[in-house]
Amino acid sequence: MAYSDKVIDHYNNPRNIGSFKKEDEDVGTGIVGAPECGDVMKLQIKVEQDTIVDAKFKTFGCGSAIASSSLATEWLKGKTVEEAGEIKNTDIVQELNLPPVKIHCSVLAEDAIKAALNDYKKKADAETRTETTTASAGA
Amino acid sequence: MARSMCWHCQSEMSGEYFCGRCVKVQPLSKELDYFTCMNLPRLLHVDEQALERTFYALSRTFHPDYFATKDESQQRISLGNTALLNAAYRMLKDPIQRAEYLIRLEAGSAKDIRTSPPADLFDEILELQDDLEEFRALSAEDSSARRQTLQEKLEASRRSLEARKADVESRLFDQFDKWDVLHAQTHDDPATQAAKDAVLKTMQALLSNRTYVTNVVNDLVAAVGERTGSGRT
Repeated sequence: MAYSDKVIDHYNNPRNIGSFKKEDEDVGTGIVGAPECGDVMKLQIKVEQDTIVDAKFKTFGCGSAIASSSLATEWLKGKTVEEAGEIKNTDIVQELNLPPVKIHCSVLAEDAIKAALNDYKKKADAETRTETTTASAGA
Repeated sequence: MARSMCWHCQSEMSGEYFCGRCVKVQPLSKELDYFTCMNLPRLLHVDEQALERTFYALSRTFHPDYFATKDESQQRISLGNTALLNAAYRMLKDPIQRAEYLIRLEAGSAKDIRTSPPADLFDEILELQDDLEEFRALSAEDSSARRQTLQEKLEASRRSLEARKADVESRLFDQFDKWDVLHAQTHDDPATQAAKDAVLKTMQALLSNRTYVTNVVNDLVAAVGERTGSGRT
């Protein structure tokens, strides 16, 4: 079974490899793993006014896992946090033409997106709370 | 494992693998689990000699060579039974595969057991990948200090991860003991069942952990393993 051209392209020229500082307030980080194959995926988003302005990933795994996360970062850029939550693994399967045995790679990418979004939302909520507290304390 | 009726003469089955009346070989049921197939209790410490003995004995019983002159149905059964035996033997012989198989049997699917991912391990793995990538990019002839530093760092990581793998395996084998004790107890007791589920869950987490570690170790060995000469410590 051969990989599709799109998978090979993303594998050979991965987009957005790298990382942001995990601690930054405007960064959401998702680290997930697939216990069946041992792949590990880190996906990060940078958010400005509810819009994802940049995304980066680092994946330790097979070609399909790398391609799935590379594609995911491309798709994430420019989307709002809410829109990003709507990305489904089936979209990735379709775009990359993944064979049935590699579908779990796309699931991993979806999980990573969700984890990154949750991490960002958690930080944002915490910050809003702090601001409110500070504001009321100041008043 | 006796079947109720012979596929050929329809008579009540009296023999175990062959019909008592028409002496035709009988297919092993597809639903047969590997432990039952090998006449073993569902324990994680397997009597390896007993496993091997049963495997050889049954292999002789069903070997396709003995059915070369028989009709096509019997040849097919001999082949199918032999394939099942081979799969069962391979699965049960290896302790890791055996544990994975038992979890599947007992929990339906390993996926039904949710375990929390080892976050600290993930961070370590991803950090290591950076070093590995940089190391791979430098050619073997490169004698720079940077390459030397990286190589030493990767070798140290390999040693520590190999130790971690050994530790995970030893904790896994502790769970083997627990399982075997629990398995000997009554089945209906809800407390026993809860304890068994806990063991299955712990084993699943350890096995996942082991998969992650094994993958990185293999990568590290491929990158720095053979080149060091001294190899394992």
